[in-house]
Amino acid sequence: MITIFGVPSVVLFGQLLLGLINGAFYAMLSLGLAVIFGMMNIVNFAHGALYMMGALGAWILLEYFGIGYWWALVLAPLGVGIFGIVIERTMLRPLYKLDHLYGMLLTFGLSLIIQGVFRDWFGSSGQPYAIPAALSGGTNLGFMFLPTYRAWVIVASLVVCLGTWFVIERTKLGSYLRAATENAPLVQAFGIDVPRMVMLTFGAGVALAALAGVLAAPIYQVNPLMGADVIIVVFAVVVIGGMGSIMGAIVTGFLVGLVEGLTRAFYPQGSSTVVFVMMAIVLLLRPAGLFGSKPEAAGGVHVSLDAPAPAFRTEILLFLGMAALLIIGPAFVYSGFLMKAMLFALFACAFNLIAGYGRLVSFGHAMFLGTAGYVCGHAAKVWGLTPELAILTGTLSATVLGVVTGWLAIRSRGIYFAMVTLALAQMIYFVALQAPFTGGEDGLQNIPRGKLFGLFDLNDHTLLYGFVLVVFLGGFLLIAQVVRSPFGQVLKAIREHEPRAQSLGYSTDHYKLAAFTLSATLAGLAGATKAVVLQLASLTDVHWGMSGEVLLMTFLGGVGTLYGPVAGAFIVIAMQNYLASLGQWVTVIHGAIFVVCVLAFRRGLVGELIAFLGRSRKPATPAKTPQAAPEAG
Amino acid sequence: MANVLEARGLSREFGGFRAVSNVDFALKEGTIHAVIGPNGAGKSTLFNLLTKFLSPSEGRILHKGEDVTALRPPAMARRGVVRSFQISAVFAGLTVRENIEMALLRTNGIGWSFFSSIARRPAIRRRVDEMISRFSLDEHADTQAGNLSYGRKRVLELATTLALDPDVLLLDEPMAGLGHEDIGRITDLVRESGKGRTILLVEHNMRVVSDLADQITVMVRGEVLAEGSYAEVSSRPDVIAAYTGGQHHG
Repeated sequence: MITIFGVPSVVLFGQLLLGLINGAFYAMLSLGLAVIFGMMNIVNFAHGALYMMGALGAWILLEYFGIGYWWALVLAPLGVGIFGIVIERTMLRPLYKLDHLYGMLLTFGLSLIIQGVFRDWFGSSGQPYAIPAALSGGTNLGFMFLPTYRAWVIVASLVVCLGTWFVIERTKLGSYLRAATENAPLVQAFGIDVPRMVMLTFGAGVALAALAGVLAAPIYQVNPLMGADVIIVVFAVVVIGGMGSIMGAIVTGFLVGLVEGLTRAFYPQGSSTVVFVMMAIVLLLRPAGLFGSKPEAAGGVHVSLDAPAPAFRTEILLFLGMAALLIIGPAFVYSGFLMKAMLFALFACAFNLIAGYGRLVSFGHAMFLGTAGYVCGHAAKVWGLTPELAILTGTLSATVLGVVTGWLAIRSRGIYFAMVTLALAQMIYFVALQAPFTGGEDGLQNIPRGKLFGLFDLNDHTLLYGFVLVVFLGGFLLIAQVVRSPFGQVLKAIREHEPRAQSLGYSTDHYKLAAFTLSATLAGLAGATKAVVLQLASLTDVHWGMSGEVLLMTFLGGVGTLYGPVAGAFIVIAMQNYLASLGQWVTVIHGAIFVVCVLAFRRGLVGELIAFLGRSRKPATPAKTPQAAPEAG
Repeated sequence: MANVLEARGLSREFGGFRAVSNVDFALKEGTIHAVIGPNGAGKSTLFNLLTKFLSPSEGRILHKGEDVTALRPPAMARRGVVRSFQISAVFAGLTVRENIEMALLRTNGIGWSFFSSIARRPAIRRRVDEMISRFSLDEHADTQAGNLSYGRKRVLELATTLALDPDVLLLDEPMAGLGHEDIGRITDLVRESGKGRTILLVEHNMRVVSDLADQITVMVRGEVLAEGSYAEVSSRPDVIAAYTGGQHHG
């Protein structure tokens, strides 16, 4: 048997082939993302869900209508493309002039809706899809066995990718597309129907995702969640390759697939994290990406959502009111629910510090909540620390993680920041899944609550409630103080106009890193306390779904307001508690709330309330800020 | 007079295009110096290079004789070299008062304070009040800056910049987009601010330039075409040709 560096050649080439196939899907998906982003400045989070729709579409066609693979290759992309066009016309069009983050939030909501609906319909187990007869079998190449279908996938995806590249870079239609990317009004003035072109581009990009899904159906199990993890890897691919280059997306896709394959052959434990490590290295050495030429998009016009802060006295009254409600709360509501809601409220407030006041919208905040929970649980259970020391240890682990990930992530802004934090969090997720001390799928269970300061037994429910109340109110007060402090004012100024803050002498990166770390620390405090209260640290808390939940709580309640995240957290946790019988529909409702928030009330509940109270006192117009950047001339 | 800011052999390329090409330039202490030239002459690029918002492809930048080529923008500002922006740069979500405070939080070293409050710093408050009334922004002190008229935003930007009390003020087209009355007002403000300071401005409005500038540099296609007083440069045929789109070469 031939071996290469101790790995049998059959295994090595087998893994490389699998890597190439994964790479083919990454390439097709990141290509679609790049085309859509280039044209409409939208990071399509739903791309993974649409890929899944392609695969599941093929399965449905076969199962219910007896329509085979070759027709599915045409019909599924067509159907999904039309679905995409409907989305573009009804939901995305109003967002083009807004901050690009709204597009990402809306499509994130859409992906929750799509995945939730399909899970309710098909369950989450995989469905097999048979390889078409014409492509079954394989060839023995001597050093490995090559299944015909896999060879077909690689050839087909290469043809599709290069064909797309050719259309965009070498044809007249492509030159219109590229011109409209640079200056849409001008192209419109030439008599070209730009909105229709945008609509069709989105349809085509989405169809590409569905086509990848159909190609994938016979290789992977077809299931409603198959797109969820792929999309995060594809975001990392996009960051590695750099936005703005079609060829870059294709080459990086295949490259990442191959590197994954190599890693799986030589160091299997690292295969699911290697892409994120690559991303971190690229961010350090070439922040614009391997092929990136386009400077980061400035971010459109954003409507300032900042509501004028209420007077100091009003704030104190509001705070006392909230504290009083929480103190008497257990007399009326189940205290377990209140504790959970308070800890999530603290998590959301921590997130809001960086997302609302710093406009650094992280899509990976679960990594701080979850990591702190694991470390705290381990410290209490294995090391036998008292709860306050275990919580402190857990919180500090989140601080350290915050410094490291923040240092990497603040090199990018806006949607890039969102993608980078999401990818880093996914890396932490895989570490948590594989590390020896996290308990894998089971998590850490039966974490002892112990005696606080060796005196107060936290197994006493009243004491436990009091402890959580103090942690929550303390964290909240700290955030309220930071927001009002000179530091908070600098943070808001950086959000409004970073170059201007630099021109006044502020090293803005240091401020952003400090805010990010503080936010991570407080998220960690929430996670560590939660581990003690629920006596459990599990994968749920490091999963991207948790990062999505904190986004949901904050945006629903009102980003950039003090009480918004609290209100949002209580509503979302109440929904989960009382609507649990609805199963997957809770996810669908979450998604729908995202969509409605982005389309109809971007200030969130509390933000709209403050704006309403402000309007009823005096008429005011919303403030608009042009995002000025130094221009070359 | 000593050179406050100096460029030696400064160049900047954008993907093969030389926006600024081998420019030697000196800003003398206490002068108001204007850089003029047709669109695309490289004025804004030069300006961004001098304030370090862009890094040069070649050449050096000196501030008071020290090499500052490797510094980042905030470090330039802390050395007292402060710029404004072409599109008015105010912190839209902050009030007028908070905008001006932004300058003083830094100079008073409390930008990193998590707990103190400006309300407890009477010296800062007084200075902010003084700037507000000096720039006639009293009525708008508590208005969000984003809600001000364009002219007022430019006034606020100037007030914030001057609250830093910079040695060198770099103004990027301060009159762009302003109406007649505002231009007169801001010209007066710039002239008044120039006392005891050095000012570099990029400006298209020739009346403003002739009113304000002691020294003028004319740029064309990334290079320095001429230097001198307004009377000197405005009478040179190559300058006139460059402005009227004539066929001047060299």
